[in-house]
Amino acid sequence: MSINTLLKLLGIAALLVFPFVFTSPYYLHLVTVIAIYSIVTLGLDVVFGYTGEVSLGHSALFGIGAYTAGVFAFQLGWGFLPALPVGILIAALFGAILALPALRVTGPYLAMVTLAFSTIVQILINEMTFLTNGPMGIALRLPLFVDLREWSETIPIFDMSLARLRNVEFYYVVIVALLLTLVVISRLLASRYGRAFEALRDSPIASDCMAVGVYKHKVLAFVISAGFAGLAGVLFAYSEQYIAPNNFSFDLSITFLLAVTMGGRKSRVGPILGAAILVFLPNLLADIELFRIIAGTIAAVAVIAGGISMLRNPETRLRTAVPVALCAGFFVFSLLLEKITDYKLTVFGMMILFVVYYLPDGIFGFIRPIIGHIGGHIRPDLARARVETEVRGNDAHAWVENAPRVAAGRPLLQVDQVVMQFGGLRALDRVDLAVMPGTIHGLIGPNGSGKSTMMNVLTGIYTPTEGKVVFEGEAITGHKPPDIAGRGIARTFQNVQLFGELTLIENVMVGLHHTYAGSVADVTVASPRARREEAAARVRAASLLGFVGLEALANEEARNLPYGKQRMLEIARALALDPKLLLLDEPAAGLTAPNIRELMDIIRKIRDHGVTLILIEHHMDVVMSVCDIVTVLDFGQKIAEGRPAEVQADERVITAYLGGSNAAAA
Amino acid sequence: MRFATTLLALAASTALAATAVAQQPIKVGLSGPFTGGSASMGVSMRDGVKLAVGEINKAGGVLGRQIVLVERDDEARNELGVQIAQELINKEQVAATLGYINTGVSLASQRFYEEAEIPVLNNVATGTAIATQFKAPEYKYNYIFRTSANDAIQSGMIAEEAVARHGFKKPAILADSTNYGQLGREDLEKALAARGVKPVAEEKFNIGDTDMTSQLLRAKQAGADVILTYAIGPELAQIANGMAKLGWKLPMIGSWTLSMATFIDNAGPNGDGALMPETFIQAPTTPKRTAFIAAYQAAYKVDRIPSPVSAAQGYDSVYLLAAAITQAKSTDGAKIRAALENLQTKVEGVVTTYDHPFTATDHEAITANIPVFGVVKAGRVVVAHAEDLAGDKALRVKAKN
Amino acid sequence: MQILAQLIVSGIAVGMIYGVIAFGYQLTFATSKTLNFGQGEALMLGSLVGLTVVAFTGYWLMLPVVLAFGLLQGAVVERLGVRQAIKTKSESGWIMATIALGIIFKNLAENIWGRDAMKFPSPLPEAPLSFAGVNVLPMEIVIVIGAIGMMLLVELFNRRSIFGKAVVATANDREAAGLMGINTSLVITFSYALSSMTAAFAGVLVAPVTLTGASMGSALGLKAFAVAIIGGLSSGFGVVVGGLILGITETLTGYYLSTGYKDVPGLVLLLLVLSFKPSGLFGRASIKKV
Repeated sequence: MSINTLLKLLGIAALLVFPFVFTSPYYLHLVTVIAIYSIVTLGLDVVFGYTGEVSLGHSALFGIGAYTAGVFAFQLGWGFLPALPVGILIAALFGAILALPALRVTGPYLAMVTLAFSTIVQILINEMTFLTNGPMGIALRLPLFVDLREWSETIPIFDMSLARLRNVEFYYVVIVALLLTLVVISRLLASRYGRAFEALRDSPIASDCMAVGVYKHKVLAFVISAGFAGLAGVLFAYSEQYIAPNNFSFDLSITFLLAVTMGGRKSRVGPILGAAILVFLPNLLADIELFRIIAGTIAAVAVIAGGISMLRNPETRLRTAVPVALCAGFFVFSLLLEKITDYKLTVFGMMILFVVYYLPDGIFGFIRPIIGHIGGHIRPDLARARVETEVRGNDAHAWVENAPRVAAGRPLLQVDQVVMQFGGLRALDRVDLAVMPGTIHGLIGPNGSGKSTMMNVLTGIYTPTEGKVVFEGEAITGHKPPDIAGRGIARTFQNVQLFGELTLIENVMVGLHHTYAGSVADVTVASPRARREEAAARVRAASLLGFVGLEALANEEARNLPYGKQRMLEIARALALDPKLLLLDEPAAGLTAPNIRELMDIIRKIRDHGVTLILIEHHMDVVMSVCDIVTVLDFGQKIAEGRPAEVQADERVITAYLGGSNAAAA
Repeated sequence: MRFATTLLALAASTALAATAVAQQPIKVGLSGPFTGGSASMGVSMRDGVKLAVGEINKAGGVLGRQIVLVERDDEARNELGVQIAQELINKEQVAATLGYINTGVSLASQRFYEEAEIPVLNNVATGTAIATQFKAPEYKYNYIFRTSANDAIQSGMIAEEAVARHGFKKPAILADSTNYGQLGREDLEKALAARGVKPVAEEKFNIGDTDMTSQLLRAKQAGADVILTYAIGPELAQIANGMAKLGWKLPMIGSWTLSMATFIDNAGPNGDGALMPETFIQAPTTPKRTAFIAAYQAAYKVDRIPSPVSAAQGYDSVYLLAAAITQAKSTDGAKIRAALENLQTKVEGVVTTYDHPFTATDHEAITANIPVFGVVKAGRVVVAHAEDLAGDKALRVKAKN
Repeated sequence: MQILAQLIVSGIAVGMIYGVIAFGYQLTFATSKTLNFGQGEALMLGSLVGLTVVAFTGYWLMLPVVLAFGLLQGAVVERLGVRQAIKTKSESGWIMATIALGIIFKNLAENIWGRDAMKFPSPLPEAPLSFAGVNVLPMEIVIVIGAIGMMLLVELFNRRSIFGKAVVATANDREAAGLMGINTSLVITFSYALSSMTAAFAGVLVAPVTLTGASMGSALGLKAFAVAIIGGLSSGFGVVVGGLILGITETLTGYYLSTGYKDVPGLVLLLLVLSFKPSGLFGRASIKKV
């Protein structure tokens, strides 16, 4: 048995025996509330940590779950069990209603939209007295699931009063809900959906161009998150046994966000840790003695950790000294403080600042390496946070037959009189382009001639002002990038657009998103199909990495790669789409001479596998040696087209490149 | 790995909380908002309570034991109130709890006291449902007591004052959207209906609203002849100032919160003449009151008590509890409850003299005859109707049960 | 008709209060793409400092002191809360940090000035002026004039002074401005200082009408946030229009619909605006560059 499973079992055992070790209802209630908040924060982390969007609407979604339970009990007399699934569904439904319009905007705009939503929900709960009993609130009774009182003689392990039985049973219900939440969220985030969430945060444009619809996946993340908030809401209503509209003000949303930030985003432990801090903080800050003890402990830990770090890295001494001094200062402050209640929010605020400053990955982000270090002595792989792949790729798995559907002699891609106007600037001016299947089509021109604009028009990032783009005989003008990518047009980017926090193999697997048929449900129950698809995708991804020579680095995070290798990774990721047409935007930029030769090799091999390519490049030797046909743009207009040698000799092309564009226009 | 650490973290954090404290003195819980919007009431209540506890401890305590207050700031948040209730009951193991400013927090928290059979003395919150939340026959004993004038009493008095004394026929109710305002509004409607009057307008506003034009214009268009209020200080001041702005001055009659400093100071001359039922007005009308005001002023170095009603009711609640513990000769919750329900000693309080204030079925120490109308005059609340305090009426006592 | 006029006039006054606070959001967003979620608290601090100073100096002499305080407070917010986050490109970092600073400021204010709302002495008579039956407080007129005046001054500063040009340059393209030798982090600090200064000014401007106290900032800061978003974070003019829209919608719905649902139409309007114009009414949609 691995340490990993041992720790899990130990944890579950601890939670199971807890009610018999700490018999006080106070601690039982505390852990119940922590578990309930954990469900919200774990769900919130999917949106906040993984897709990187700030939601201030989770208090409302939480409240919707709670009020589903409340209204069921108050109006219909229905109990806990019917409320549970319905609460989840209704919250998820409201999540979708909110997400569909809201997620078209981002950043502060999204924060405001979710804030507006939560304000409206709170007003409605307060005003719709006929349904929600308004400001009076709703009282509920804890359900008794199984009456074990008759058994108290047979199994006299604890006092089985009715109240205690209710509390303990409900505790177990909540713990089961938490464990299920952990399992489901872990599975989702380890699946293609989790990769999509992270991908769209790191580069929305690249996600769209990998046929991973940003909008669709943001909505999905939000709806999942809302469902968990609803689940927690139902549990909360019963654990508190009384709910009122003012329970669910938007301040609560901020508190949830703070909990995730403090605990540590993008982890399972972090949000739970955050929820625990959230629940304990009022206690901690109510009792000056306890507060001093904790502040002292933190200071001691900081001094020890800082000391070790200083010994190891003497050059960062000063940077380490500041947080250590702050921790010590915090302890002194706790000794000086007489009345803590009056200043508790200041203390709270300072804690958040400290975390934002010195623990950007939250408290768990700080302790994770330490745990990993200790665990690493026993099993080295525990030191790594990510799942490492041991899959070996092979050439047989790199390619999938995907022949273009065009009649012989017809172009694969046809661009017809395309105009792209930005305000007063005409970036493309009535450009025609025909790309024949199986060719490498070069697109060259001086800086600002409209090459990249053309790329963006072809992939749907820009909708052309006029003109038509036809791919495989179908017009794709005005289609969205994910749709165009899905049809088999893949691309790389001039400014590399990798998913920095994903590993290399995961980057490629985002490109393989289209190869999955399994749904969210498949993933949550870990169906055979989901496992099979994941395993197949891993082999393919490893094979593609092997094709571009990056297999050895499969488990590295993409942001740690050198520039040249990042470009190669982009090509592997684009190939994962099984493209019929591959657009390469300056793939040789920043590459060394040997690397460039390697690149040319790769480009030819791609063509040999039946993929048509459009190549934008400044390195003329590359263009001249690999391209079958070259189109030259200048000031948004096509000035020449033909075989490389012809184009090279063209008068207008030479003028365009050597300056004097007036002459060219004349 | 992550999952495993998760579970460990959860288990470890709970163990952290397990620190038991031995008890020798009598622990009494105190829950109220000491930060945020209703903090001025909470802090006045707390200071009143501390004053009384200090006096009792100086005189030797109760049953020879000192009273120790376990203060907790509930921030007017229901869920925090619940958490505090659990902590006070199970961890601190208090003999009883005093406090609650906010009706919502009170309604959310006190069921846990009821289950644990520990008495609660509500000393400020006024929601009518509070003292009857656990009435017979569903509950054998009710552990919730109150020393403040509930909304039913206050709204009855407001309606009586407006309709019977002043002859207003077209009242407009302005209440905030919190449960304080809305529950009060419901009680007020009932009280008016009992006197055959229907409000011509019922308007709402939120905490923090700065403009009352729409609400006031609606009342004006409906032909209102008096404004009845259920809200707290700052917004009440905005109502008074808003009327001045519109050049439309109507008398204001409302719940006791019209005596809050935040109303009086911020409305200034616009607030003059506002009427409200008060259990206590900062005026030396009885020796006990004189002593209390002097003691409060000395202890907290203020001239005007921020919320005199909260302070006085908080102060009295301590003496009632002390008397009950003395009579019960025990800190057992059930015995204290029994003693409160049949209190043999007369307790001379600031608000009134408590002579058998509670019975098994009646947990309200304040009855409709006790509060008097106060009126805002030049920045202070004074007695509105001199006859209320004439002769021996200064000390108004609950009728014998 | 008279009632409608009165509602609109009151709506304008309220809307300009929101607008003048919202202006501060726009200033920092332009240069750094970050917002101070403690803007309401900056307003509150300005107003409370003003309240303390006004006793010694009178209203008009108090203004420069408050403006200076606002500049300082904004710089502190940027240094403590935002700089680190901009450096590490952490979106959540600045949000959390400015919220945390807001919490700290509010708590400190509670301890220094008390928890109660207080009266701010009005520099002008408090009797309303009446125009054809429509009443308006002199101070409300001052708010409208003051708000517009301040926005014009800031715009003028940005267009005319060399430092202002640096601000505009940073707003247009931070990297390019940095390459041109503009100290962009100083510009960002300055924009925060300027933003808090406008908030502090707004604080003393609106305080005679709204009351002053530690909790005055929360509700106003949120409304102003809504206004900034409706108008578009990249438009100073949008803030004025957004403020007027929200203010007037509030008073009109309050009167014609129901005071209980007063806040709902404004928020629904916000949702509608954003679903058609994702960068607000007057915000520029930026062209995606790849």
